[in-house]
Amino acid sequence: MKKTKLLKVPSRGLITISIVSLVLGFILAYSYSISSEDTRENASDVSGFQEQEKYREKLVEQKERNKELTEEIIVKQQKIRDYEHSFVESEESVEELVEEAELLRLLIGDIPSRGKGITVSLEDGAYNPSQENPNDYIVHESHVFKVINELKISGAEAISINGQRLHANSYIRCTGPVIVVDGNTFPAPFTIEAVGDPKVLLASVNLGGGVVDQLTSDNIVVTVGEKDLITMPALRDDDYS
Amino acid sequence: MWLPLLGLILGISLGLLTEIQIPEIYESYLSIAVLAALDTLFGGIRAHLQHVYDDKVFVSGFFFNIGLAAALAFLGVHLGIDLYLAAIFAFGVRLFQNIAVIRRIMLTKWSERKNQ
Repeated sequence: MKKTKLLKVPSRGLITISIVSLVLGFILAYSYSISSEDTRENASDVSGFQEQEKYREKLVEQKERNKELTEEIIVKQQKIRDYEHSFVESEESVEELVEEAELLRLLIGDIPSRGKGITVSLEDGAYNPSQENPNDYIVHESHVFKVINELKISGAEAISINGQRLHANSYIRCTGPVIVVDGNTFPAPFTIEAVGDPKVLLASVNLGGGVVDQLTSDNIVVTVGEKDLITMPALRDDDYS
Repeated sequence: MWLPLLGLILGISLGLLTEIQIPEIYESYLSIAVLAALDTLFGGIRAHLQHVYDDKVFVSGFFFNIGLAAALAFLGVHLGIDLYLAAIFAFGVRLFQNIAVIRRIMLTKWSERKNQ
């Protein structure tokens, strides 16, 4: 019974079984190859991942280092800026102080002054018989004051009257036809020399309605001239009187 | 008996030689197909041993199970449910049952032969 069935079935059954086993073998082998590939890929994936992780860590490290360095740079730059600021400030203040000291020295006549400048000479007006009062046409110390003040305002570094250099405590006194400057008597005409920018000084004295005009209206002969070099010696103690 | 063996060898060699790459998502389908095929194979062996073997049932069961498992996995992937687990579970249980039955039959046969 069993034998006959086995003998009877085989031809058809064997074929179908063969087909089935073919498919089965194919599926098994295929999945095996795929899974082995997968494991290989996974392995490579893992190593690749590890490598990636390594590089990422490196990158992160570098980034952190960069950040640190950037912060350091910022701090240092800030320091530099602070230094620069303080430097500039101190320099500015020093410069200012030096300039101020220079100006003060010039003002008190501590140092000799030389440079371009202008001369303003004031002469008594020509004698006019119609004028009864000779005071109306002679140079007074007020005129000299005007000129000196104007020159000082205009930035003259040093001023002298007839070679007598003025300093901070100079005094000008009118004593009749002559004026006394720091104890030295000077007759007319008075030549006032001023060291400074000639353009500025000339412009300031020649200003419309300015010093020259006022003096001229007071019958004083005013001569304004530019000088390339004016030298004024430093005042010695004995000059102060 | 050489024909199924030949078929198996041919299938294995074909599968090993195939260089077709399938997308990763469909690999679960393949595993289920493997399971279904194994299940059907052992079912067939059991049926054969129990003398209830029918090649129609066997062949249709073989291909239908593979298709059904694949379809379940496909549905599971698209529904977001791991339905292939159901297939794996069902086929796994049946595989073990079939193998157990085969083992018992073999054991009884062996003991019978020993008794003789």
